[in-house]
Amino acid sequence: MAALKKSFQLKSRDFMHAGEASISVQNMLKQIGIEPALIRRVAICAYEGEMNAVTHGENGNFRIEVNTDKIILDISDEGPGIEDIEKAMEKGFSTATEEYREMGFGAGMGLPNMETNSDRMDIESEKGQGTRVVMRFSLSPGSRKNET
Amino acid sequence: MIGEYVTFQLDKCTGCAHCVKACPTRAIRIRSLKAVHHPDLCIGCGECLRVCPEGVIQSNVESRFPLDPDKTNAAIISPVLYSQFPDTMPCDVLRAVKEMGFDHVVDLSFHLEMFQFAVEGFIAQNRETRQAPFPLISPICPVVIRLIALKHPTLLDNILPIRRPAVMIADDVRKKLQSIHNITASEIEIFHITPCPSKALSQEMVLKDEIGSVDRTIGINAVYPELCKHVENIREMELDIYDTDPFANIPNARGPMWSKSGGEINPLRDEGMLSVSGLQEIRRCLEKIEMGVFDEMNYIELRVCPQGCLGGPLTAVDRHMAKQTVQKLVRTFGVNRRLPPYKLQRLYDRGWFFANIRPSDLTGYYPDQRQALTIDQMQEIENLLSLLPGIDCAVCGAPDCRTFAEDVVRGRARRSDCFRLREIDNGKEGDT
Ligand SMILES: Nc1ncnc2c1ncn2[C@@H]1O[C@H](COP(=O)(O)OP(=O)(O)OP(=O)(O)O)[C@@H](O)[C@H]1O
Ligand code: SF4
Ligand code: SF4
Ligand SMILES: [Mg+2]
Repeated sequence: MAALKKSFQLKSRDFMHAGEASISVQNMLKQIGIEPALIRRVAICAYEGEMNAVTHGENGNFRIEVNTDKIILDISDEGPGIEDIEKAMEKGFSTATEEYREMGFGAGMGLPNMETNSDRMDIESEKGQGTRVVMRFSLSPGSRKNET
Repeated sequence: MIGEYVTFQLDKCTGCAHCVKACPTRAIRIRSLKAVHHPDLCIGCGECLRVCPEGVIQSNVESRFPLDPDKTNAAIISPVLYSQFPDTMPCDVLRAVKEMGFDHVVDLSFHLEMFQFAVEGFIAQNRETRQAPFPLISPICPVVIRLIALKHPTLLDNILPIRRPAVMIADDVRKKLQSIHNITASEIEIFHITPCPSKALSQEMVLKDEIGSVDRTIGINAVYPELCKHVENIREMELDIYDTDPFANIPNARGPMWSKSGGEINPLRDEGMLSVSGLQEIRRCLEKIEMGVFDEMNYIELRVCPQGCLGGPLTAVDRHMAKQTVQKLVRTFGVNRRLPPYKLQRLYDRGWFFANIRPSDLTGYYPDQRQALTIDQMQEIENLLSLLPGIDCAVCGAPDCRTFAEDVVRGRARRSDCFRLREIDNGKEGDT
């Protein structure tokens, strides 16, 4: 089955280039004619995920896979990990430092946004080991979030 | 179908590919050592004519403008024009234009103020509910609007649905002239003197309800030499504050300020506004808006030209000089509000400011000419890319390796157009 795979290395704290992986994903999805509203959802998730790996993690890896029936975003890093995932998922929860807040991050909305904009999101994380967030988007029409 | 903003005089074309590389929508290729333009992808930004060393590319904004003596000719002046004449009062620039034979010259300042009032009104009305999609995007630069329609259609709804000042004024002037001179609409010819190649086709400006608002467009660079002479003469004359043209209401510096990046939002009292100019920056900004980065902002001013409209391709003086002139004008004349808010509010409530057509109706304006690629084709492009030199040399006639790979996969270019693929393919043949 046809599948398109691409991966990017993310550099921690490199805010000049952070977001570039998400932008090239956005452009790629446009070229293969994915419906604009879905592209927007994927783009939001990709960006928030990329930013988390860049701000909170180390040695981030960003992968995208497009199949005929789904898109998978798989973003992992070898950073400090998330201690309490449930807590991290709460709107407004953030451990971002003052320095990051000044740059406009740290509203604690990243993970909640990723959750609402993907059809399914799984987080694996262990303290001191790193974090992996996998988001799936269904490509067949009519199989939106609430139906599955 | 989109009209054409630029014309190529191919006999002079050397196939150097400068324009190919400059075009943001990759609408140009070199084939058989000549440029080939794809108007269906052209957004009228004029980048190609800025870079062409041979003068092959011409804006379709008119450069000659014989006035019809049987008509009442009115010229709407882009505020950029004031920035082209250092140490000259804006009203003297207007007089100079009149000397060129126009019956009326029309300054935009009041309409800019009206537009800005409507921006504030719209934000105030929708901020709490966030009904309209935020951030709102300024509708002023037609190139930005076309770029959005072509590349970021989900953002069309973010475009502020307020008529652009030049359009409001064209409708106003036509009505006023009819009643003043007791003539019909067809006896009037409305010109727009502009720095902007995207205004080449007045009948296809931005939104469909702008059709017919302006009859003809002229580039600032085309009128500049003659204007210089008139400006010189007028500067020699005694001070005359009693102007005769009802449309040349004494301009303040709101117009000049508007012509530089940030000038649209600076007079407004809103913290949640950004201004961005220059093609690269704008493309980045649109991608970020699409990713939700600026969701908290209220309004974003985007001008494709570097430093704003005073950096437009059809200007006559250096944009840094023009900026300097603007700063002086702002210091001297200020940008005071001069219109009574309660009257503006009445117009707003009546819907006067609003465009009849939603910008989102533009989706059909650029029926994406390029068929979507399949996943297999996309993978093929990635595979090809790994073989290509990756130096974007443009010798193949495409602006960069990725576009070339796409052209090959779509059957629009041959592998042998690339020197590296030629080597590889020849090598293979040698092996067998
Ligand atoms: N990859 C990661 N590694 C370690 N901790 C993470 C990671 N991703 C998220 N977290 C933790 O989860 C918290 C919440 O993340 P979320 O993305 O929702 O908000 P934020 O990144 O702090 O702020 P915002 O995304 O709004 O700028 C973070 O503050 C951080 O403590
Ligand atoms: S005007 Fe702009 S979009 Fe059109 S061909 Fe020239 S560079 Fe490309
Ligand atoms: S920035 Fe101004 S001059 Fe340049 S294309 Fe946009 S509207 Fe025209
Ligand atoms: Mg985050």
